[in-house]
Amino acid sequence: MFNTNFYTIKRAMDVSMLRQKVHSLNIANVSTPGYKRRYVVFEEFLKKEKNELKLLTTHPKHISKMDEHISPRVLIDYSTSMRNDGNNVDIEYEIVEMVKNGLKYQVLSRLMSMNIDRYNAVLRGVR
Amino acid sequence: MMNEFSIMNISATGMSAQRLRLDIISTNIANAETTRTSRGEPYRRKVPIFAEYLKRSANGIMECVGVKVVRIWEDPSPFKLVYDPSHPDADENGYVRMPNVNIVREMVDLISAQRAYEANVSAFNVTKSMINSALQIGRG
Repeated sequence: MFNTNFYTIKRAMDVSMLRQKVHSLNIANVSTPGYKRRYVVFEEFLKKEKNELKLLTTHPKHISKMDEHISPRVLIDYSTSMRNDGNNVDIEYEIVEMVKNGLKYQVLSRLMSMNIDRYNAVLRGVR
Repeated sequence: MMNEFSIMNISATGMSAQRLRLDIISTNIANAETTRTSRGEPYRRKVPIFAEYLKRSANGIMECVGVKVVRIWEDPSPFKLVYDPSHPDADENGYVRMPNVNIVREMVDLISAQRAYEANVSAFNVTKSMINSALQIGRG
């Protein structure tokens, strides 16, 4: 009965929240010697998935919906060093990305509300 | 499922670590001229040592959940010698051993700690507004 937007937006919001967690971690460890920044990879997997062939599902027990088992991954960036102590957190970059990600989350939550409103419009007639 | 409120705890560990750093820097500055301590030597500069706070999560993976202070390190560098024969702690040659605190360095660290604290505060605020916007879903 419900469209897949609920699922899609929820996934996007979860990934966005995970990104926020990773940005918080990087900012909390900005003065920890030897700390390497973490980052989340997700959209790259989706892109790769889109270019690959899908499985044909003719039975409910077949593996379907490939994107269900794509999960975001937290990776550690060992490649760079910002300072002498081996820490590679760039505080400006983290804050800018964190604010962008926060705004994206608000857009997604608005989208979710609008999706719910569409059902409300049907259920209550006028809205 | 990930607990959104644990993100706030991450920022809280960062804030408390930076606050401790501010406290220690203040102690260093306050004791920049202290020649007598309980150990019978001048004051030694103190530095907090930070480390990643790793915790084993429910599925057995070590997960970073913030920052922690592992110990407070005392700088073993030599004391400054100041020639002041009238000082009660002067040795037979007239030299006083002064703490190995460099005020300029402490001030630089102080500002760095303050900025890091503010960065954690803004991370906390962004997390809060994200959770708030999630709570607004379906309210029209």
